[in-house]
Parts: sequence; structure tokens; C-alpha cells
Amino acid sequence: MSSREEILNRLRGNVRETYDFPDLGFRKLEFADPVAQYVETTVTTAGARVFEIKPTDDLNEKIREAYPDAKIIASNVPGIKADKNPDTVERAQDLEDVDVGVIKGEVACAENGCVWIPQTMKEKAVCFASETLVILVSKQNIVSNMHEAYERIKFNDYGFGTFISGPSKTADIEQSLVYGAQAARGVTIFLTE
Amino acid sequence: MKIGLFVPCYVDALYPEVGVAAYKLLCSLGLDVEYPEKQTCCGQPMGNAGFQNKAEKLVENYDELFRGYDYVVAPSASCASYVRFFHEGIVKHECEAAKRTMDLVEFLHDVVKPTSLKARFPHKVSLHNSCHGVRELGLSSPSERNVPRFNKIKDLLQLVEGITVMEPERPDECCGFGGMFSVEEPAVSTRMGKDKLRRHIATGAEYITGPDSSCLMHLQGIARKNGEPIKFIHVAQILAAGL
Amino acid sequence: MSTKHSIAAEKFNQDSGRVTRHDQTFWSVRSKRDGLAYQLEEWEQLRESANLIKKHTITHLADYLEQFETNARKNGVHVHWAKDADEYNDIVMQIMREHNVKKVVKSKSMLTEECHLNDNLIRHGIDVVETDLGERILQLMEIPPSHIVMPAIHVTREEVAACFREKGIIEKHGAHAAEGLLKEGEDWRTSSDPTYLTRAARYHLRDNFMEADCGMTGGNFGIAETGDIVVCTNEGNADMSTSIPKLHIVSIGLEKIIPNYKAMGVFQRLLARHGTGQATTVYTSHFRKPRPGAEMHIILVDNGRSSILGNIEHWQTLKCMRCGACMNTCPVYRRSGGYSYTYFIPGPIGVNLGMLKDKDANYHNCSACSLCMSCDNVCPVKVDLSTQIYKWRQELDSMGHADPMKKMMSAGMQTLFEHPSLYTTALKFAPLANHVPAFMTNIKANAWCYGHTMPEFAKESFHTLWKKGKVK
Repeated sequence: MSSREEILNRLRGNVRETYDFPDLGFRKLEFADPVAQYVETTVTTAGARVFEIKPTDDLNEKIREAYPDAKIIASNVPGIKADKNPDTVERAQDLEDVDVGVIKGEVACAENGCVWIPQTMKEKAVCFASETLVILVSKQNIVSNMHEAYERIKFNDYGFGTFISGPSKTADIEQSLVYGAQAARGVTIFLTE
Repeated sequence: MKIGLFVPCYVDALYPEVGVAAYKLLCSLGLDVEYPEKQTCCGQPMGNAGFQNKAEKLVENYDELFRGYDYVVAPSASCASYVRFFHEGIVKHECEAAKRTMDLVEFLHDVVKPTSLKARFPHKVSLHNSCHGVRELGLSSPSERNVPRFNKIKDLLQLVEGITVMEPERPDECCGFGGMFSVEEPAVSTRMGKDKLRRHIATGAEYITGPDSSCLMHLQGIARKNGEPIKFIHVAQILAAGL
Repeated sequence: MSTKHSIAAEKFNQDSGRVTRHDQTFWSVRSKRDGLAYQLEEWEQLRESANLIKKHTITHLADYLEQFETNARKNGVHVHWAKDADEYNDIVMQIMREHNVKKVVKSKSMLTEECHLNDNLIRHGIDVVETDLGERILQLMEIPPSHIVMPAIHVTREEVAACFREKGIIEKHGAHAAEGLLKEGEDWRTSSDPTYLTRAARYHLRDNFMEADCGMTGGNFGIAETGDIVVCTNEGNADMSTSIPKLHIVSIGLEKIIPNYKAMGVFQRLLARHGTGQATTVYTSHFRKPRPGAEMHIILVDNGRSSILGNIEHWQTLKCMRCGACMNTCPVYRRSGGYSYTYFIPGPIGVNLGMLKDKDANYHNCSACSLCMSCDNVCPVKVDLSTQIYKWRQELDSMGHADPMKKMMSAGMQTLFEHPSLYTTALKFAPLANHVPAFMTNIKANAWCYGHTMPEFAKESFHTLWKKGKVK
């Protein structure tokens, strides 16, 4: 008997009583103004910056404003002037020296600042290895809580997605909070219409 | 209403005045109180040590002794809770007396519901919310949970004239007694007790009070060893002050 | 009357300042958790839902595992089954050999700790680099974790700095890390500033990410409906570990499977709030398919879990999602430290899991509980941790691990309490005699007096007063 069968048989044999999946219809946290709450959460607890972007704004200019010292920008978002493209770099390692990665988020969640970022590029390293991130997300796609966020998120053929709430952080040394552990040291959210 | 008074072993031996206060208090509220003499212990010391099987006969005795009462009332939250939540599991059958056993505070607050007391106690006290009172009997809302805040002990104490009731920082963290735990893990138990004592003292209270003489005994032993002058008094004694 | 835990705990308590720091560190996490709990109206409903979802899943686990496997395979992921630690290690080695792996970057996984993966990899000549900062510090210092979520929190900044110097990390990355960071006059060669040390570690780990041939992660959740593996981190190290190398191996315990996204919503909201007192981890990553040109393997590990399901008293430990909240709230853990336990998972859940793993090695931890029940009330999935510890204590005698002194005392109490007349007589002589209350008088000379003065017996017990008609 394979381990698989052995394990499954033992699991089946060891069940005495079964339980139903519960009804999750209880009332969940809702914000009157999820956009305002999202901004508040992101700025105060998640440690990211939020810039509101008007339709008339030039995104590339805004990126420059946000990160004036950036030397290498990486993005595959149409219209973003980038030095590197995560779709065309040969290896993920080629994105190691990126100063600003510009990526798109699809759903944002007001209760905890999470933004859903599905992989839309060959090398997702751009989302993590970049020194800093600019995440574009539309105000229309902000929900109150994670239950709603999970109802909304979609996968594409890349088969990876991540919720990111802000810069990488750690408190592993004597509980001192430090931003910029292994992944992006800074995150700026561009809130579009 | 016929009440059986249960005075657990260590209250009996070390703090008889707590039993006396409980008796007087219940009588003063017009209740018919009896003290069945053949009572001994709730069995918790053995159970917590890992020998609840040695408490089987005792549990049966308890049930026999107390089953005729409307309520069994004990001035000890931990013992009352052990009776109510563990006795049936020990003897593996229903126990009438166990179901109707209540801690004194719980009984007064939920059943008798007095709106006034004759007691006067013009002192500042720090309230010791003991673990089994909080987390088994529900004498107060556990700090771990998001439930409406309440404290039955405080509610009752506030009926006493002249009293000021404080609560320590970390109001329901364990004091470290835990029965046999205190002798099996003396270092941690003592440290927990010292921390608790320090927080009680920081309230500026003259007395530490609570529904469990066991926790108070533990804290008192540590206070004495460290020369702390703070005084200890069971809730029953405050509620019965002046009777 | 002492267990390995009590002996180690006494040693830990010799440094009072250390106990204070340890206690405050974890109490502050508990407090942050409470703050978030009080803000959420549906908090208790979330906990109850999590409890029920876990009960449901665990009692249908074989079905969900099959569903998970089917979906993962459809996604192009290789799925393996390991019945125990040995088979798990063999599977890992086989995958690594096929890919000629020389260096592995790894994000935190208690399961790999449980299966002693790192030792095994090293034995086979594979360079394994932990990438969670805390885990990396421990790995470099060659010491085990003392907590499952904050594994190196007991190490001081000075110790970290000394370790980084000894291992050449400061020499290689210190100057770079110090740029624009340290105060004037502060020397990067000797600084123990946490921000600076974290940055040095960042550069050190960056090198490793770039060179690694394989990334290994654990899994906080596996979603049956989609085949997703969900990994939650704050550092982004699981994502770094899987974004660069072309091979991703997931190690996940069977009990981490949950049915669907509805369930995921509940657990995502609870995990970080309980574990670290944050509304979310920075990264909640869903791995469904391998990266383009890469391979992804999931190893489903049993290692005793399917047998735990058959344990009528303790099966609910399988609900645990390893958030660490029970440790943070445990007054004994906070004052005895992670190393006082014989099992690598400390605190209330560790006491229970240790007993399920190896009773003879881990019965020592059963003393590490005052039965305060705080853990039961913080647990996001409502494992009845303290009740289970109480139950283990009842079993110690039949295992041959009962403390003889406690047994003798309990027997003494039995005799006394079963015989009211004997009890009354004993009470009468209590101020002189050695009987009542047995659990205290018997230890008069030693343990109680460690921290207490002896209580004084009343001149007349309540019994005596009653008999004499003095109770009025």
C-alpha cells in the first residue's frame, strides 16, 4: 500500500463523528467610506504612503515625484516608462537592482490595507526584489473586509497572486520594528479613479 | 429555599472566618442554610495533580450529602467550579448536587440578587479576579474575549458602604497558585505571584480581596515572605462586614 | 518533586530582569491582539466559525486532501505524500538530486523543524539558508527556536551583532548597510542597532536568494477547492525564496488543508491578529501554479497526524494553525522561556503536541500549566488546551510517569477526604499534625517555602466552630 493510501485509509478509519461547514452569514465589518478607511489603515498601520492620482495626472511624473532618486524602474504596465520589463528580462535575478517596481493591484481591503496583486508578468520577482514598489489601484475596487476581498479576487494563467499591505517588515531583533526586511523597503499606493 | 453550605477543606482549616462570613451573609438574606458535617473536599487538589481517579468516592459522597438542597453554595470559586464542571466526568454519571453547586458571589449575584447590603467597609480594595471564577464560572468577562464587560464581584462589592474597588493592571492574569502547580513549579509560581502582588499593590489598595482563599493564601504567603504589609480579605468577609 | 520543565524554569528565573523582558515582550503581543479583538464586533463569531470550519475539515480530511491533490495536479504541481519524517526527507532529497540542488533558501516552517530537515540536507551536502531573519539568526548561532512565530526574540541585539561579526556578515555588508543609517560617531563594526543589523542581514540574504537553486516554504493553508498553497509572512522571504530559484518545494502538514476561499477569509482575518497582533501579515501569497519555466512540488506530511485524529481526547489539537497566541498569553511560558520545554514547540499547544509525539520524552512539560485557561480563551480555533493538559495529567500514572510524591500526597488526601471522621479528627490536630491540607503540609520544608511563608492553621476549624455552636 502506498503512503497515500495508508494515510487516507487511516484518516477515514479514525473519524467518529462528522461536523458540517458552518453558516458564515454573520454581520461583518463594513465601513461607511471604505476608501477613506483604506487610506487611513495604509498610512497609519501598514507603513505605506498613499497618493491620490487624478485622471489628468501624468503617472510617470508622479512616480518621479514619489521616488526622485530612482535609477532603475521596472514595469510591464502599459504607459509606464521603465528601464526594465519583467516580461522580457532573461532571469529573475536581472531584477535585483531595481529601485522602483511599478505594478497593478486589483482589489484593496480597508480593514487591513491588503492589496491583491495577481501575477501579470513573467518574473514576479519585480513585486518583491524591487527596493520600493508603486502599486496602482483603483478607488472603485476597495472593499471593507477580507471576506469581500476573497469573493472578488481572480487568478489568471500565471497562477500566483499575493495580498501586499505595505513594505516588508520584521521585528525579529528585540521586537524593534524595522521596515525593509527581505522584500520591498518602501511602498507607495497610487490611488486612481 | 434550602441552601447547603460547602466550606472546602482549606477554608475549613485555614480560613474558618470565611465560612462563618458566608454563613452569616446567607442567613442575613433570609435563606435557610445548613452545613452538612460530613463534607470534606471538592477533589481538585488530586485532580490537578493527575489523580482525579482518587477522588471518585469523595465525589459520590459529595453528591449524596448535598443532593437534597436547592443550591449548594461555597465561598470558593475554584472549588465550586471544580464540582460543577469536573465531578460528572470523574464518576461518569450525572450528579444532581454538582449541577446546583455555585460559588457564593455567583449565587448572590444571579439567584438572590440583593439590591442593598448592610455591610460597611470604608477601605480601598484591589480585586483579585481568580482564573476559574473568570473563565469557568463567568464571574467577570475574560479579558481575552470580545464580550460585553461585566464583573459580578465588583457589582456586589459596590453595594458595600464606603468601599473603593480597584482592579490591578492585567486584571485577570493568573497569580500562579494552581494547587499542586505551586509546589511542582515553585520558581514560576512564585514569580507569577510576585508580579500579581506588585500590580495589586500598585493600585494603592489596603486590602487584596477575591472569591478564592486559595489565590489569596498564595499571594499572602509571598507578601509575608517579602515583608509587604498589604492585607488580605475574602469577598464574603467584606459583604458580611458588620453582621 | 520536579520535572525537567520546572528545573529549567528555575534556572531561567535566576535572571529576574530576563524574565521581566520575556514576560513583557509576549504580553505586549497579547495586548495588541486584544486591542484588535475589541475592535471587531464579529470577533467571537469569527473564532467560532474557525473552530467549526476546522472541525468540519478535519473530520472530512481524506476527501479534502483528495480534492486538493486533484486540483494541485491540474495546476501542474507535483504532489507527494509522506507518512513520516523519514519518507518526507527522502522525498525532498530525491527532488533535490533530480534538480542537482546545491543551495536552498527556506522560509520558516515548523514542519521542517519537526522533521529535522535541515540536518538531513546538511548531511547530504546541501547548503540550506533560513531566510526569516529570526530563523537565520538562530541558524547562525546554532540554537533552536524558542517560540514558533518570534523564534529569536530571546536573543539580544548585542548577541545578534556579535554573531553577524563572527560570521563575516558585518565585514561583507556592514559598510553598505550603515549608509545613511547610523548616527555620527557610531561605528558600523561594533553597532548593534536593530535597523542596521536587519539591513546587513537583508544584503546577506539577497546574495543567497540570487544564488539558490531551490526555494522551500511551509504552508499556512492549503485550499482544497483550488489547490492553492497560502503562505503568510511579514518579511516577504517566502516570496523572495520562490521568485528567484526555479524550484519551489512546499512542505505542509495534512491538517493545514481548508475547504475553500470562504474559509480562507475567516482564517486570514484571524491568523495575524492572533499571532502578532497585526490586522494582517504584510504578504498573504497564494501559490497555485509553478512560475513560468519553474517546477513546484507539494509534500503532504502525516508524521502522526492521521493517528491523532483517532485520539478521542486530543484530536482537536489538529485544529491548531500555529499562530502562537497560546504561548503569548501563557503566564508560565512568559516566565519560563521556550527552552524550558522538552519539545521544540513550547507553551500550551506544545505541551499537548509533545505528548502526542512522544510521551516518555515530553511528559515533563505537563507541569508547565497552572490551569488558568487563558489559552483556551485566546485560541482562534478554540482548542481546549488546558483541559487537554489536565487530561494528560490524569494519564501520567498509567504511563509510569506520575511523580511519586504527588501520588503519595493524592493517596493521603484520598484516605482523608473519603473518611469524614478521619478528616475531622485531622482538622482538630491540624495546627500540629501533618495531614491537612495534605498538599501543603507534606511539602512544608521545601517547595512551598521557596517563595512563601507557611499559612497558619486556624485555632479552630470551621468544622469545630460549627460543632461548638460558634457559627451563628
